[in-house]
Amino acid sequence: MKIKHASALGVALFLGTLTSQAQVLNRLKQRAGDRTEQKAGQEIDKLFGGKKNRDGTGQSGEGGANGAGGNGGVGGNNNPSNNGGAGLISTPPDVKQNLTDAEAAYKKSSYGEARYAVQQAMLGVELEIGNKILKSLPESVVGLNKDAGADQVTSTGWGWAGLTIQREYKGAKEKQLNVIVANNSVMMAGVNAYLTSGGYAQQTSGDQNWKQTKVKGYRAIIEFNEGSGYKLSVPIGQSSIIVYEGINFATEPDMMKAAEAIDIDGIKKELGEQ
Amino acid sequence: MKKNTLLGLGIIACMAVTAQDFDKNIATARSTYSSGNLQDSRFAMEQILADLDMAIGKEILKLLPTKAGALPMIETEDNVSGTGSYVGLYVNRHYGADTKRASIEIMNNSPIINSLTAILSMPILGGMMRDENQKIVKIQGYKSILNKQVNTETGKTDYELQIPMNNTLLTLNMDDTSEGDITAVANGIQLAKIVQIAQ
Repeated sequence: MKIKHASALGVALFLGTLTSQAQVLNRLKQRAGDRTEQKAGQEIDKLFGGKKNRDGTGQSGEGGANGAGGNGGVGGNNNPSNNGGAGLISTPPDVKQNLTDAEAAYKKSSYGEARYAVQQAMLGVELEIGNKILKSLPESVVGLNKDAGADQVTSTGWGWAGLTIQREYKGAKEKQLNVIVANNSVMMAGVNAYLTSGGYAQQTSGDQNWKQTKVKGYRAIIEFNEGSGYKLSVPIGQSSIIVYEGINFATEPDMMKAAEAIDIDGIKKELGEQ
Repeated sequence: MKKNTLLGLGIIACMAVTAQDFDKNIATARSTYSSGNLQDSRFAMEQILADLDMAIGKEILKLLPTKAGALPMIETEDNVSGTGSYVGLYVNRHYGADTKRASIEIMNNSPIINSLTAILSMPILGGMMRDENQKIVKIQGYKSILNKQVNTETGKTDYELQIPMNNTLLTLNMDDTSEGDITAVANGIQLAKIVQIAQ
């Protein structure tokens, strides 16, 4: 507990220190009125240029009290800004090659190398599973079309944080449905505890912001938040969950209808859940 | 002598089982992947990771000292576990008897490792944390946190030394000891080799 508090305080102090560092720099430079002092200011810029740039602080007198509003490192120092580049190549790991590498490393008793290779292989398999699930999802749901650019499969290759698959459906009037499928997820434990414990009694008065429900025969929890809209969590099998987030859906039945459009049994089968 | 021979045979038998499991699981991972059964392939890989963590843990046990100061190790309490998951590798060895004990614990991706690293990497935070019962020391070049605990009833002093090394945390606990003794024991542990194997 002591360590946690100290860590939080430390981070706050660390951030505070960075801000005050920027403010001190600005003050130093503002005082550089005459030419001699301006030269000194330039030298200070040179000396602290790299640090200032990393902090995202602005130019002399432009950053304001909060130190924000820098212009991406162009100007005061001579560092060029990046204008191009094709980014990183997103290639899933070669599963078969990594298994071969793992076997070879294991035979040499290089267990750490073998573990790394198996993790890479697992990453490759999880990405393939995720992509298959994405393909199985419908192109449109209740008039909302998929945003292909937002399709996302995330895997750590650890097995622990597992696999997360995300699809967004968008329509007019900022209506949006997000479908998130998570396997081996810590979210799963929370929702299951929610469903199985009798501690969460449903309210009969006041604002009802959550309740238990069923989607295609699966027990689920639906929540409503004025700021974020509807959220429907459906645990499937032993270690997977589907979360639907409905933004600007008019009613609960409207949200449930959208959820019904997803083939839960198909996803369950693809994830190997019983 | 007879006991040592039996122990040696036992270790060889365990390693043979692990090797068999590894070969079996990798064959399963490969064949299920080729047939498009991705879930079973993934499950086999999870088993392989757990097997590898066990193998790594056993290698680390071989590197740990057989004595902590004057305290002999309790071989029957040696513990290695591998979940094949995020937390992964965990190795534990105990020394001494109930009256005076010591232990070495090695854990990958410990939940507290980030907090410890923050204390060690931010002098301002380390300064705030510093009290008469805690100090930062260097063990074989690794910055470490030494915690002292005085038992008010017995008047004895226990120490805990936490050595974070990348994502591996080694914790040495010793009852009724001194700072000099615990750092001497820590300096006798093959930290560089352990961290190399554990990563």
